Amino acid sequence: MQKLIAGISQTSRLALASPAYINDSSIWQHISDALHQSLYRVLTLLIEVLPGILALFVALAIFTSCGMLISRLLRCCLSWVKFDLRLARVSGDAWASASPPTEIVARASFWICVLLGLIVGVSAFDASYATGTALPISLLPYVTHTVGAVFLLIAGILIARFLARSVLISAVNAQLQYARFLSLGVKWLVLVLTAAMALDHLEVGGKIVDLAFGILFGGIVLTLALAVGLGSRDLVSRSLESHVEHSGERGPVAHDASSSSEQLRHF
Amino acid sequence: MTAENSTFAETSIIDRTAAHLLVVCSAIPPEQLDAVLANLAEAFPVESVVVTAQDQLPVNAPTNLRIISARQSNVTWMLKPEDFVNAYEIGREQQVRAILMLGPGANSLKPQALRELAVAALSRSIDLVIPHYTLPPHAGLINSAILYPLTRALFATRTRFPLTIDLGLSMRMVEHLATVGKRFVAANQVDALLWPVSEATVAGFAVDEVEVGTRDVPQPSDPDINTILALVTGSLFADIEAKAAFWQRPRRLPPAHRQASKTALTDGTADVPRMVEAFRLANSNLQEIWSLVLSPNSLLALKRISVLDAAVFRMPENLWARIIFDFVIAYRLRTINRGHLLGALIPLYLSWVASHLNVTASGTSSERHIEAVAAAFEADKPYMVARWRWPDRFNS
Repeated sequence: MQKLIAGISQTSRLALASPAYINDSSIWQHISDALHQSLYRVLTLLIEVLPGILALFVALAIFTSCGMLISRLLRCCLSWVKFDLRLARVSGDAWASASPPTEIVARASFWICVLLGLIVGVSAFDASYATGTALPISLLPYVTHTVGAVFLLIAGILIARFLARSVLISAVNAQLQYARFLSLGVKWLVLVLTAAMALDHLEVGGKIVDLAFGILFGGIVLTLALAVGLGSRDLVSRSLESHVEHSGERGPVAHDASSSSEQLRHF
Repeated sequence: MTAENSTFAETSIIDRTAAHLLVVCSAIPPEQLDAVLANLAEAFPVESVVVTAQDQLPVNAPTNLRIISARQSNVTWMLKPEDFVNAYEIGREQQVRAILMLGPGANSLKPQALRELAVAALSRSIDLVIPHYTLPPHAGLINSAILYPLTRALFATRTRFPLTIDLGLSMRMVEHLATVGKRFVAANQVDALLWPVSEATVAGFAVDEVEVGTRDVPQPSDPDINTILALVTGSLFADIEAKAAFWQRPRRLPPAHRQASKTALTDGTADVPRMVEAFRLANSNLQEIWSLVLSPNSLLALKRISVLDAAVFRMPENLWARIIFDFVIAYRLRTINRGHLLGALIPLYLSWVASHLNVTASGTSSERHIEAVAAAFEADKPYMVARWRWPDRFNS
């Protein structure tokens, strides 16, 4: 009887010990299986994406090559028919660009081909996802928005620089002491506006960006208005004095600068 | 010109024959026109002269002049391309040998001056006759600073006033100018300026200058220096760019056949401090823009003169010549926007004016200083040619 109980307890001990040993190995097996499955899914996704990427680059390469060929052909043909000379006869001095018209047409044709290649490539890339894949392609519209935002930023920066320079030169010629400040203010106004438009285009920030832009823009405008209003009193008074002199409401001006400035005739 | 476009009407009792001279008068008040007609009648007692009147025909016109009504022209301070086109068409219709174009204020020209303007073209020896006005001491400063020195250096002509409102023209000269004018009219650039002196020089026509004495020179409707300088210098720079193939070749300047006129010394230095201050303000704010246009040597020289006191402010002639040449180069290369470029020139021009006033106040005659400036332009022409051909190099 004691031997039987000892045997039973030994058996139960053995039974208790052997399941723990068996669970460890199955856990590692499960983990290994999970990792293998995820790796398999990634590789499968990559295999599905690769043809699309390849199609994108192939389309871009083909259209770029076509663009180079077309550009060279156009350059030769337009030079042969003396396009620049004919256009100069028609437009006279109205041609405003630094590059000759032939060069501009050739470059434009090249970049149009590149753009077409990009569009075709993106379409091919998109088509590779179109059939039965679970991979979200919500990134693709966001890439388009990003490209648009980049163009917005570039245009805004160019406009800001142009306007800043225009304001600087005009203010200096008007002998305003705060010309540089005014120019910087205009530049930052345009840059802030551009940044807000780009963020809005990217749908980032939402109302926070709108509010921040409103506060910043309004602050800059108020600062400029105060600076111009307070700083241009002399300019306004000079302008009013010259207006009154021309209309004959005031008598002879006493100070010498005005009378001697009448002796100067620039033309 | 087709008959249906012509609006001519003859009012003279003289039978129509081929006239010697056509006088094209711009739209002026009737009292000025009467004075012009009286001067013309005195200047040309025997020649057959046809005079165009823009507005209603005068009542008591001299009998030795044939007055015709012509197309309305809105000449205010400078001849427009359309004026040359109309003058040629009328001249061809009337079969004249020469044309005399007179702008507003021509009643202040004496009969002898009118005759001298026309007789050289009538004799078929000169194609373009330019008047040499006797102006007040500090008048025509843009011409003295930029137009005359540039034209003299590049086109090898001593014409003191390259852009005038009165001209004596042979028929072939006016035909040439009309051809140029038609291009501007076709491009809808009706307010563009034509440069008769450079056109005549490039075409190989004979150019001469005659003393006409004093004249009431009409002023632009907008006398703002910013507008005038940009318009006139921009037009000249464009003309220089168009004729680059001509002026790059070395040419000998014809000898001066008239001495520089002595102008009365006046003290116009009251404006000098204001102009020097404007230059200093520009020097501190426009360095970024000037550095894109001017050579490092010029920038350094400008920095040096910016610290001079207004009473002794002086811009060296060779520095001014190089500044203008650099701006012409930048205009051609479109280094910066052309409007910005010409705006950035204004403070530099004012600094030259201040220097000129100081020089003339110190006892040097105005004409002598202007001749020195023109000589500096001539001496630095090789610099201009070199930079035109190799624009990326700043030659010392």
